[in-house]
Amino acid sequence: MAEQLNDDELSAALAGDPSGFGAVYSVISPAVLGYFRARGVDDAEALTQDVFVDVLPKLANVTGGHTGLRTFIFSVAHARLVDYHRRAERTPYLAEYDPRDDSRYFPSAEDEMLSSLGGIADSLSRLNEEQREVLVLRIVADLSIEQVARIMDKSPGAIKQLQRRGLSALRELVTEKDHAAS
Amino acid sequence: MTGTREPQQEGPIQAMLHDAGLEASTELRRCLEELSAVVPDRAPAPRADLAALLALPSVPASGEEPLPAGVTSLAERRGRKRRLAVVSGAVLGAMTLGAGAVAASSEAFRENVGHTVGTIFQPPAVTADTAPKPARPSPADIPAAPVPSKAPGDTTAPAAADDPAAPGPVPVVPAEPGAAATPPAAVPDRVLPTPSQRTVTPETLRLPGSSGDRGIPAVPLPAPTFPGVLPVVPGQP
Repeated sequence: MAEQLNDDELSAALAGDPSGFGAVYSVISPAVLGYFRARGVDDAEALTQDVFVDVLPKLANVTGGHTGLRTFIFSVAHARLVDYHRRAERTPYLAEYDPRDDSRYFPSAEDEMLSSLGGIADSLSRLNEEQREVLVLRIVADLSIEQVARIMDKSPGAIKQLQRRGLSALRELVTEKDHAAS
Repeated sequence: MTGTREPQQEGPIQAMLHDAGLEASTELRRCLEELSAVVPDRAPAPRADLAALLALPSVPASGEEPLPAGVTSLAERRGRKRRLAVVSGAVLGAMTLGAGAVAASSEAFRENVGHTVGTIFQPPAVTADTAPKPARPSPADIPAAPVPSKAPGDTTAPAAADDPAAPGPVPVVPAEPGAAATPPAAVPDRVLPTPSQRTVTPETLRLPGSSGDRGIPAVPLPAPTFPGVLPVVPGQP
């Protein structure tokens, strides 16, 4: 990503020294926030902060340097996301009436244009849950196959398989949309 | 969310596309770049509890750096008080421990403690021990007294008994052999009817008791045992 932790900050954070916490937060929290946004969490910022409140005091137990730190934080984020989705399944969705959400209106050309630009969320939502998780962790969280395998508690081969199938499905969805739009 | 190309994102996305054999698909590449653009440039502003956690390093540092502008901090005093309490508590504890160890190591102290503990926890046993002691000396005192009681047994005694009360039985015994033949017959009689004499001796003891020592009547029982022995001695010669 754009910014990386330097060695002093990393060693301070991994030693449980609070002086490294700020650097860890400023470097890794954007990726965590993007991960939650890409997965469609309502209040992604709040969940991101929950993750860091949970993670920062435990950094002294983390080993493995940069990759270990990133894997640890995203494994906590992954667990939080799973909890979030379970909770969301149980609670009914309540919303006020919004005329813009009324499907009986025809969308304007401008809305169509915007949705096509930001349509990645829609495309992703059509993927299998595990494929979606693998793609988001690989691209948004910038993690390797091995790191994703550890976080999702699967073998690297299974992650590679999920990634390949996810990309194929996504390509079909994208080309389909392009054909429909044109 | 506009999917602007970031050169450093080309690496992973390109590698993924290569792994999947989908490098040719520009739509997919564009889609993945959009996805990577979801990551914001800056970290979200931390809320209160997270800010407190992140501010932990700066709090002690700021406590030293911002020197009071007309404001004195009470933190030092508070720390000093606490330190004083902790130190005094530690000193007291150490002194108690040391004194206890020294006291426990000296034998005299241990004996005293054992004794006091014994007296505290066994009061009935101690009184039982002290009570028999006075009973033992009382029979020891009695042998002196019963001898005079023999003399009154012959009825001639009252006057003689008063005199040899302190010296004991020796002067009395020669007096009886001096009486010659009549007593030998009387002696076997005395040996056999000792029970009858026992009933008599208390009466005779009461008489001198009333006149002199009151300690004698207190123990009348040992008196009959000696009379049985004494007559035998004169009987042999």
